[in-house]
Amino acid sequence: MLDQAFEALKTYQWGVDPKAIKPIQDAVVATHGDSAARGKLESRLAAVLNTDVPRAAKDTVCRALKTIGTSGSVPALAKLLHDEQLSHMARHALQTIDAPEAAKALVAAIDKAPKKIKIGIISSLGARGNDVPVAPLAKALSDKDAEISTAGALALGALGSADAVKALGSAKVNDTNRIAVCDAMLQCAESMLAHGKKSEAKVIYTKVLKSGPTKTAKIAADLGITASS
Amino acid sequence: MKTTRRKFLSTTGTAAAALGFPAIIPSSALGNADRPAPSNRIVMGGIGIGNMGRGDHGAFLGKKDVQYVAICDVRKGAMNQGKAKTDAKYGNKDCKAHDDYREILSRDDIDAVHIATPDHWHAQMIIEACRHGKDVFCQKPESLTLGEGSLMVETARRYGRVVSGGSQRVLQDYKSTALRCWNGSYGKISSINVNVGPMSQPCNLPQENLPGDMNWEMWLGPAPWAPYNSKRCSGSFSTSGNSWRSYIDYSGGGMTDWGAHHFGGATFTVDVRDLQPQEAVLGEIDGKKFVSLKYPNGMEITHNKPGVGHFHVGRDNVQREGKEFPKYAGSGGITGDFIDCVKTRGRPFRDIEYAINTMAVPHLATIAYKLNRSLKWDAAKQEFIGDAEANRLRNRARREPWQI
Repeated sequence: MLDQAFEALKTYQWGVDPKAIKPIQDAVVATHGDSAARGKLESRLAAVLNTDVPRAAKDTVCRALKTIGTSGSVPALAKLLHDEQLSHMARHALQTIDAPEAAKALVAAIDKAPKKIKIGIISSLGARGNDVPVAPLAKALSDKDAEISTAGALALGALGSADAVKALGSAKVNDTNRIAVCDAMLQCAESMLAHGKKSEAKVIYTKVLKSGPTKTAKIAADLGITASS
Repeated sequence: MKTTRRKFLSTTGTAAAALGFPAIIPSSALGNADRPAPSNRIVMGGIGIGNMGRGDHGAFLGKKDVQYVAICDVRKGAMNQGKAKTDAKYGNKDCKAHDDYREILSRDDIDAVHIATPDHWHAQMIIEACRHGKDVFCQKPESLTLGEGSLMVETARRYGRVVSGGSQRVLQDYKSTALRCWNGSYGKISSINVNVGPMSQPCNLPQENLPGDMNWEMWLGPAPWAPYNSKRCSGSFSTSGNSWRSYIDYSGGGMTDWGAHHFGGATFTVDVRDLQPQEAVLGEIDGKKFVSLKYPNGMEITHNKPGVGHFHVGRDNVQREGKEFPKYAGSGGITGDFIDCVKTRGRPFRDIEYAINTMAVPHLATIAYKLNRSLKWDAAKQEFIGDAEANRLRNRARREPWQI
């Protein structure tokens, strides 16, 4: 059944009944706890990404690798990051693969990525959180393109670290990114509060209260000051 | 993967209530007895005006203390109908029609929005609306994934926004049962079973010609790209392949669609709306799988447990004491509740945190079914304990350029 499903991937266009490839998803579940079988399945899936199977087939493979992918799948997925059609589904897997290689692949793809794809990659780095360096996100924050800058801000907010705060503090704010930069600051303050760093959080809230771009931001800062007192 | 800041949320939630956050309605402007003055009305816009959105539009448009000024839909037909309906109500041409919700959120004159898009848009729109200072009424199911649920709650609390979910059935359909449970008529409830489904399925429908009045990129939004197909985006209530409610990228299927009502009724009836389950235990009876969601206070909600009725009732007839039975604020059902809370900065009956706690039930059960194993859930950290694969299923990457 599994062999037939992999065979079906070769012609898996939009419109083909998904039942044809269901054994792949069944194998994802069935191989849990069997590292040899899981490794073999992952290798087969990653290999498909290096072929010219239809887009819908590669989408399917990325969905499976989201659950079972390891560092072994990262090179095949990383090759798709600059592909306008497949970048999102590659991130679908890379965003959740808990191997440092996945974060490195995302970071490495930023600079040469076209704008829209770059925003997606930055967003995925923010969603990963823990193992992501601040520097590439800070660079995005300082990008002249306001939408890339917005993406960098939100990703830094998701990180919520002291270094993220430092980067956000030096952001050039404009009409397009101001709400995101402010929200990112507030997210960082919340992260600090959650870690018991009330005084550090209060500094951020006070800054937002003083210079927040909107009434809404000042309300949030006011709430935060109360929470951090 | 990062965790959430829910510990903080409990703090800010309290702080927000204690502060009695500023009502956005100017109190200086007094209206007449029949209808508040324009300056004292809630200025609203609607996003997603087909099907459920049409009903919500009508409900809010009919309220004397609402001034409806903007419509957004990615289908021009629905958008134009919504504008025409609004303009006819007021006898003018003032309602603005948009096919990009961000134009509504960026308007400073709008206080609140109602959202009735497919589920894959809910988190994106709620979070952005809160950042822009809007209060939000959003149709159920409020979340598509576990991860976006906690982000929605965090953002609503961060900005002190009133965010209400949209299951009118929780109080409408289950009130009498819940009341009997709350007053002890059934004795001590130990377990409640919910029969609902099915789960959503992968979608690989073929490409069809795109209708001229449809903005397909905006319909898809943060969901994976797929070719247009009328069944893929139909707003019908089918969960068996004829609507977006059938498919994984846009919905949890009947499990979350009707589940938002039924699990909402269950969590309300047994009074666990403040909690999330700590375990999703996969069981099997006579070859039929079911999931038992176990709460830290000992309560259990089962899903599709074969051979049982809807309630397990203990023998000890314990009276609940000192807790008022919840009801809608204001008048006019759940939409009236929302409007009243916007004015008073109160907590709606289906406050976003209650809604997200409710939606955690079908989301947890779905992941247990999909992985075919029992799971332990740390609600404070919003992560599965000792199951990295399950943790990967909490979130989905958003299609560029969408991000929250």
